[in-house]
Amino acid sequence: MSVHEISLEEINPTDPTFWTRPLEERQAAFATLRRERPIAFFEEPAIDGTPVGPGYYALTRYDDVVEVSRNPEIYCSGLGSTSVTDMPPEAAEFFGSFITMDDPRHARLRGIVSRRFTPKQLSKVMDDVTHIADEVIDDMCEKGETDFVADIAAPFPLLIICDMMGIPRSEYRTVLDATNKILGGGDPEFVGDDPIAEILGAGMTLVQLVNELAEHKRKRPGDDLTTALINAEVDDDVLTPQELGSFFILLAVAGNDTTRTALSHGMHYLTENPDQRKVWQDDLDGVTASAVEEIVRYAAPVVYMRRTLTRDSVLSGHELRAGEKVVMFYGSASRDEAVFEDPDRFDVRRNPNNHVGFGGPGPHFCLGAHLARRELSVMFRRLFERLPDIEAVGDPVLLDPMSIPLVTGVKRLPVTFTPTKAKAKA
Amino acid sequence: MRVSVDLDRCEAHGVCTGIAPDVFELDDDDVLHVLLPEPPEEWRAQVADAALRCPKQAITVTDEQ
Repeated sequence: MSVHEISLEEINPTDPTFWTRPLEERQAAFATLRRERPIAFFEEPAIDGTPVGPGYYALTRYDDVVEVSRNPEIYCSGLGSTSVTDMPPEAAEFFGSFITMDDPRHARLRGIVSRRFTPKQLSKVMDDVTHIADEVIDDMCEKGETDFVADIAAPFPLLIICDMMGIPRSEYRTVLDATNKILGGGDPEFVGDDPIAEILGAGMTLVQLVNELAEHKRKRPGDDLTTALINAEVDDDVLTPQELGSFFILLAVAGNDTTRTALSHGMHYLTENPDQRKVWQDDLDGVTASAVEEIVRYAAPVVYMRRTLTRDSVLSGHELRAGEKVVMFYGSASRDEAVFEDPDRFDVRRNPNNHVGFGGPGPHFCLGAHLARRELSVMFRRLFERLPDIEAVGDPVLLDPMSIPLVTGVKRLPVTFTPTKAKAKA
Repeated sequence: MRVSVDLDRCEAHGVCTGIAPDVFELDDDDVLHVLLPEPPEEWRAQVADAALRCPKQAITVTDEQ
């Protein structure tokens, strides 16, 4: 396959059409940036109704992404936002949880739930994860062909995060629709003609949901994240309704689209790389852990996070001023040829694989990394065991974003497989 | 060399226990323990690597006497 080369001067991640180009073309463009202009300045996107910001520096090399992640006192999360454009106050109300804060407050809020996401804690829900994987596969395994996103990649992480949060199944559709709008990058399929209003509306819907849920959990506490949130005290205070709402939105949204995206891209790569698939399928116990890391490195479901300079500083010889924005492109950093051997090769046994698909080392490292690994491991294992010949039969349909998407979302991915009987339901 | 861990930051990613298993250990409740707070000098490279690669940057290595 020949890859259309975008020349250095034509590369512009702010341009939404950049993100609908094939993955190979985007990766080639980032390779050009890493080589020619590793800290490149770009104009910001114009978002309806808000003044256009001052622009940002795109960080594309591994070492720069790691350096920025490690130094939150210089490269902070709490000024403006972690999205490329500053968040208007009405949006910050819904989408400004601890991901857009700095320590110590960030650590206090994150600490309310972080112990729930450690491996041992999650191993207690291992049975649930496997059970939900089988339940999801049961609903599609007799079809022979289907949309992988709609039938596997979307419902699986959604069911798990909703269970962990104590959201009743009757509300799953509401959560799915809301998260699609919030992380859909403005794709008209999810938000129609007035994306900003619809995204805010989705935030409002989730806030309403958590407040109803909180009322219920106060009377009947459960062993779930929502109960932990309403009982938590931060600086001797319970969370305000607004903090509760944005916390809930962060967990619901982050726990959903990222894993959905990784599952979908993973299915696609396995189809494109039958040799790698065979390596994995022949040795599930030996290869699953490294294969899951490789999917996260290769797919880089989270496109970027932004940091803002708290003071003047120098990064790899480049002078940066207080208030300027740097945007860490994780997919580019995880394919930096200075760190990864043959970086564009999908290698399920890659070792070492110190990718930054879950973010660089620092306070904001992905809270759900353990959960995501477990979800990906369990789902691919169960698929290989139950539908061993499942494969993609077309290219993934990517999000059609307004600007730089936060997640490289996949909307559809057709798959075929030999139909099998659903397990007898209890 | 002195090694300490900020347990408020640690989220049990187990990177350090993989790099320097004689120095770091995760117990059954995912709580990290520094087995050797003053490890021998020849382990400096591993301990420094563990601190550098800790996903939560929770490990501190100091050299004060």
